[in-house]
Amino acid sequence: MTRVRVTAPATAAHPVTESREAAQESDVGQVFVRSLIRSQLRLALVVAGGFLVILGAFPLLLAAVPGLAETTIAGIPFDWILLGVGIYPVIGLSAWLYTRTAARNEARYRDLAGDP
Amino acid sequence: MNPGVAAAALAVVSVATAVIGFYGLRISRTTGDFFVASRTVRPWWNASAIGGEYLSAASFLGVAGLLLLSGTDALWFPVGYTAGYLMLLLFVAAPLRRSGAYTIPDFTEARLDSRAVRKVTSLVVVLVGWLYIVPQLHGAALTIRITTGLPSWVGSVAVVVVVCLTVVAGGMRSITFVQAFQYWLKLTALAVPILFIVFMLAGTGTPALAAPAENPTGLAPAGWYTNVSLLVALLFGTLGLPHVLVRFYTNPDGQSARRTTLIVLGLLSVFYLFPTAYGLVGRMFAPDLARSGQPDAMVLLLPRELIGGPAGDLLSALVVAGAFAAFLSTTSGLVVSLAGVISQDVLGAGVGGFRLAAVVSAVVPLGFALMTGSLALAGSVGLVFAFTASTVCPVLLLGIWWRGLTDTGAIAGMVTGGVLCGGAMIAGSLAGAASTPAWLAQPAAWSVPTAFAVMVLVSRATAGRVPKTLVRVMTRLHTPERPLATGR
Repeated sequence: MTRVRVTAPATAAHPVTESREAAQESDVGQVFVRSLIRSQLRLALVVAGGFLVILGAFPLLLAAVPGLAETTIAGIPFDWILLGVGIYPVIGLSAWLYTRTAARNEARYRDLAGDP
Repeated sequence: MNPGVAAAALAVVSVATAVIGFYGLRISRTTGDFFVASRTVRPWWNASAIGGEYLSAASFLGVAGLLLLSGTDALWFPVGYTAGYLMLLLFVAAPLRRSGAYTIPDFTEARLDSRAVRKVTSLVVVLVGWLYIVPQLHGAALTIRITTGLPSWVGSVAVVVVVCLTVVAGGMRSITFVQAFQYWLKLTALAVPILFIVFMLAGTGTPALAAPAENPTGLAPAGWYTNVSLLVALLFGTLGLPHVLVRFYTNPDGQSARRTTLIVLGLLSVFYLFPTAYGLVGRMFAPDLARSGQPDAMVLLLPRELIGGPAGDLLSALVVAGAFAAFLSTTSGLVVSLAGVISQDVLGAGVGGFRLAAVVSAVVPLGFALMTGSLALAGSVGLVFAFTASTVCPVLLLGIWWRGLTDTGAIAGMVTGGVLCGGAMIAGSLAGAASTPAWLAQPAAWSVPTAFAVMVLVSRATAGRVPKTLVRVMTRLHTPERPLATGR
């Protein structure tokens, strides 16, 4: 039995990608690229910062309001509900907002840079 | 528990894993398939696979065990494990996919145009992978000992053998199907027994034995430093885990990498409700399990403790099956990514080198696991996150977002972070858990900022070494693919 090393077939993806990068190396292209990077970074930092503020507020809330942690809802203590369940919707919402806005930033870049 | 039932559960999971692996083999033909599934995996499959791979022994057994021991303090573990994925989505998911690299060393080499950076990154990645496999094998040893009465080493060896067989046979393509299957298996295996238990407790009106806030062991609660440092480790450690990153290359483009991460966040959020429920029920209805000295076994023991009889045995078997899925999936994910790194850097690319590298990546941590005793699972995995956050995370974040990073800076930062965090881990294990101060036991809060600072300062001092390819690479990382390039 002969063994043959098989490699992936060449696709059209590579040449297109190369020309995409070459076209964007012009001075004008780079202005758009830099502004895209800045807006994506700003977006990521704002979402991360907002999430961390809410995350930090949860234990502060429990510490600040006496008796809140011991309050039970359907037999489950409130501190378990807040940290064990309540934080996940906040994570999901932050992620959804970010994904939507990041895609929008990219769409604006496409318009500006004249990509088809 | 009936040892026969547990053994049957193990056999079923192992055979199912192998069968799906071999089925995948038939459609896995090219070198690209072996490494990254040719980037043609759909978002839902891919997200299930990422979830399957990520939810390790620490999530399946360790979180509930720690919740039983330390109550709400331990809730930071599942929150951190999930929020780490949010950070990954925000800062690395799309750019990393667009970089087009197979592994983390591929990425750092491409970004910094330096072979030396590649070597250091490979070393760090292999270390992280090995450190992370060891607790999985400890978890397997614990599960085997508790549920079948067989010696501990049987569990670790069984996991390594099944993983080697699947990875060697099918590579990444079949692993994707195996992992996706294992996410749903793990979710079912945790959800069904606990729902059963909760309905039974509610139905019979069994009174709680202890209040959830009551401390069953008398251990001191964690201070704010420990919680903050743990969160730093988990938030910034996730985005540097090699087995998590390699999955992102299986998305067709940057946008779908983001969509996949969004689905993963949903899957993780649903999953972590269940270990939390185990922790709460265990604390209220079975506080004596905390004093048995094996809190990590709580998830395995709770169904028998609270339900008993044949129903308890069957539910326990389901939990055992899920636990083994956790060990198998995380270990095989790590082995695939380590084998990718080792085969490319040491043995030469190609399918033969990949297979040999896979065996090497699984057998080395097996030796280490057999020589060492198990710590609390969630805690030892937390330390691995601290190590990644101090080494891989700074080079990824600065590499993606900061034009000033140089190869010298990257190496200096990774070495500093690795030495500081690794040193703290070694000092902590030598001193023993009881006499280790909090700042040494949980080093992330100071080792991560130091690694970042060293990386930035050294890069500034060697600003002349910024690579010539910088403009092209940054453009590639951040600009959307043309619709043409991906065929959509």
